Amino acid sequence: MAPELVQQIRDKARELLTSGAVDCVIGYGRATDGVTARPLFVYEPEKVDELIFDETCTHNLVGYLVNRKGKKTGIVVKPCDSRAINVLLNEGQISRDDVSIIGVVCDGVVETGWNRVGEAQQARCQYCHQHTPVVYDFLIGEPREESPPSAEDYAAVAEMEAKSPEEREAFWAEQFDRCCRCYACRQVCPACYCTECFVDKLDPMWVGIRVAPEENRIWHTIRAYHLAGRCSGCNECERVCPVNIPLSLLNRKMARDVEDLFGFQAGLDDKEMQPLGAFEKDEKLGIGE
Amino acid sequence: MAVEGFSPRMVGFLCNWCSYAGADMAGTSRMSYPANIRIIRVPCSGRVDPLLIIKAFQQGADGVLIAGCHPGDCHYVEGNYYARRRLAIFRSLLEFIGIDSRRLRVEWVSAAEGKRFSNVITSFTDELVKLGPRSEVQVGA
Repeated sequence: MAPELVQQIRDKARELLTSGAVDCVIGYGRATDGVTARPLFVYEPEKVDELIFDETCTHNLVGYLVNRKGKKTGIVVKPCDSRAINVLLNEGQISRDDVSIIGVVCDGVVETGWNRVGEAQQARCQYCHQHTPVVYDFLIGEPREESPPSAEDYAAVAEMEAKSPEEREAFWAEQFDRCCRCYACRQVCPACYCTECFVDKLDPMWVGIRVAPEENRIWHTIRAYHLAGRCSGCNECERVCPVNIPLSLLNRKMARDVEDLFGFQAGLDDKEMQPLGAFEKDEKLGIGE
Repeated sequence: MAVEGFSPRMVGFLCNWCSYAGADMAGTSRMSYPANIRIIRVPCSGRVDPLLIIKAFQQGADGVLIAGCHPGDCHYVEGNYYARRRLAIFRSLLEFIGIDSRRLRVEWVSAAEGKRFSNVITSFTDELVKLGPRSEVQVGA
């Protein structure tokens, strides 16, 4: 990203902190490996020069807002992250007055690893149709003309659906077998903010402690279902998964179904009722007919 | 695939106000239906969290039935409308992870429809017998 745009982020953060409009700006800083990014909390105006923005800034910082309820916070968001803000606003988890949003026009982020910056854009950026944040107070960069969605976007989901039920079951059994239930996917997700998650309950114990793909399957199925119509597609869950379970496949499947059935995309605005919290009396969904 | 002598295990979540009473009606009218179903009474079809469904499958159910009041007749006015949307999404997810969506059946049965209840159980049982036992894929086996 052009240095003057990064400078704009810093200037805006400095302005917010000096004026007392916020007591913290959450943005990106350089990780200790010197090449990738990490989340950075800036509390003092002198430290804003540590803020960066480039194609390694993959994290979705919106989840941190839930822990800062009632505190004035500035935040740097990419377009996909900004949709998660709308989801939280829609669900009454954060107050619009408390957050000052520095939205960044984004051309996509790349695959990164420790001390390694990849060449290729992340998969989610290749089918992204939102390069300008959907909600912001200050915009960094010029708004883009967006390309229209195409059937290609959901090619991976369609490919999966084309397989037989047995193949699908075998595929997922193998994926879920690897899951060590570290719940990193949950922890990183801005939409997974329940104070007590169903998997943590002991009575009833929904997900048993034994090591078995069927137990893991309950977790992954319900996680995907709980995100239906709420997932903003930032794909952080898949990135943080230590065993590379293709969680985006489940999330994208839900996103496409919600779009097909209810014409709804998560987080495009903060007012529209989410489809699973609403209904139409005369709709035909192939259920009980 | 059909298996000789296979008797499916079914879990039925029946709404207290219509379908459970419908099952009672079937009973008091001396209608017979397969005894494969284990009925769990819930306040409303809207109470049926998909978690209950996937848990039932994980515990070895061959099929899960959810029955509630007809749309428009919900005791809580709109519970079954929510259930309808939820189950539409969840059924598609089940199919996606490889659980045949025919194993999850949703029916609207009123308190007066004892005959219908018995028909639903009979046809669902027949279908599950045709589908055969659920094959849990063994990883690494």
